[in-house]
Amino acid sequence: MTAPSTEKFIVPIGPQHPALKEPAHFEFTVDSEMVTASSARFGYVHRGIEKGAENRNWIQALYLVERICGICSNAHSTAYALGVEKLAGVQAPPRALAIRQIFIELERIHSHMLWAGVAAHEAGFDTLFMYSWRDRETVMDLLEAISGNRVNYSMNVLGGVKYDITPALSDAVLRGIDLLGKRLEYYLDVATTEETFVQRTRGVAPMTAAQAESLGTTGPTARASDVQRDVRVDSPYLLYDQFPVTLVTETAGDLQARFTVRIKELFESLRVIRALLEHLPPGELTARMPRRVREGEVVSRVEAPRGELFYFIKSAGGENPYRVRVRTPSLCNFSSVLVGVIGHRVADIPMILAGIDPCFSCNDRSVIFRRAGEDDASAKGGSLPSAL
Amino acid sequence: MRIGFMLGEVLRSVFRKPATGKYPFAKSTVPDRLRGAIHYNPEKCTGCTLCMKDCPSNAIEIIAVDKPNKRFIMRLHTDRCTYCAQCVESCRFNCLEMSNKEWELAALQREPFTVMYGRPEDLDQFLAKTETKIPATET
Repeated sequence: MTAPSTEKFIVPIGPQHPALKEPAHFEFTVDSEMVTASSARFGYVHRGIEKGAENRNWIQALYLVERICGICSNAHSTAYALGVEKLAGVQAPPRALAIRQIFIELERIHSHMLWAGVAAHEAGFDTLFMYSWRDRETVMDLLEAISGNRVNYSMNVLGGVKYDITPALSDAVLRGIDLLGKRLEYYLDVATTEETFVQRTRGVAPMTAAQAESLGTTGPTARASDVQRDVRVDSPYLLYDQFPVTLVTETAGDLQARFTVRIKELFESLRVIRALLEHLPPGELTARMPRRVREGEVVSRVEAPRGELFYFIKSAGGENPYRVRVRTPSLCNFSSVLVGVIGHRVADIPMILAGIDPCFSCNDRSVIFRRAGEDDASAKGGSLPSAL
Repeated sequence: MRIGFMLGEVLRSVFRKPATGKYPFAKSTVPDRLRGAIHYNPEKCTGCTLCMKDCPSNAIEIIAVDKPNKRFIMRLHTDRCTYCAQCVESCRFNCLEMSNKEWELAALQREPFTVMYGRPEDLDQFLAKTETKIPATET
């Protein structure tokens, strides 16, 4: 991403490394403790999912794309289902859309709490890690009670959802949300006032709005730098036009802002879930879906917990998808890490990396880093050949 | 500015029950909708094989023992199954359901993972015909 320096000590991190939960390779050129250049290489979790979707029928591919990521599995599944339904001209019933929205927001809660714990763990603050994960069990139990599984809920079918939310489950969700609201306020307090933690997050890797836009960041990482962008607000899907979310932004752009944006977003999620449960539309759960989807292309965008998730689905009129292209938000945010780490110490690297909420499983696409004025032949290869 | 903010909470936790359960001696209550092992009821099966077509991992095989008389058996590869419940959704005749009691499904050999379901006479007929050695047949 930057000009190679003449200092020659390069710290390689990964693909097997205790700090990284998933495999990726980074190389940081350092001058004593300060990082002067960085580069990255991905593709270690490449599983051929986009090709696999071409060999499966539309229903089988739904479960395949759900397993691209464990944390944001419902976002992938919803984006695919919305795309295929749009292609086939089928509108899922309002109750199904409401239940899907409840699940997306519940998933956001579980994902951000997981991230808060992991980021604290990278800073060595294991107490916050353990306690936030203990409270995350509340939302995992709710998800298991409604869908039958803690991750990979398999809640969506093409045309609707599988499981209904009964009044008893709705009460359980509301009770769980009240508890989570109190705990999240406590964790926001801890993350912003515990001095030992604040020293590691305030002023670290600040990014201005202009930089965030030029580097292409998305999601809470961009919103922490005052970029006003959220797919739920800009192009509402599901029932976000009737039950909207307020945009949550911060201006500082540093690690602490990324913490506060994520936790404040969760308060919005809790409010939306409460509103949806009080006004759950009656009706059926699925709409009839043809087994062959007519020819066409569609773009489907969803706000995953990490940012904008983008699906391009093309049908050639058959039983199998012709092409499914997935662009996950984590891929966009890595450039902010590679730039943000310059000028910071080696000890700040794990926190800066954790600050964008990286999901390496989502990320296995071909990446080429090219300097201005360079052609393809001399570009520093990011990773795989372009067979995706 | 505070230092040791979480100390109060941590000290209070010394006097509380731990958050981790002592599995396998204490098992937490399992929700009703837990997706465990699949069970097949051959009485209503018409052999449409939609469950086979829609299974994301090709874990289901519907084998026709006697097609005109609608006698089918199912061979389920539980090691391939992802417990997604799409087969339950695809079956229009409600022949499939997922148990919420059988979820401790680990085994040390390969054989217990291939399970056959059907009426006893159909299973006997199929196994005699093919001389397959698959144990653990169930209805």
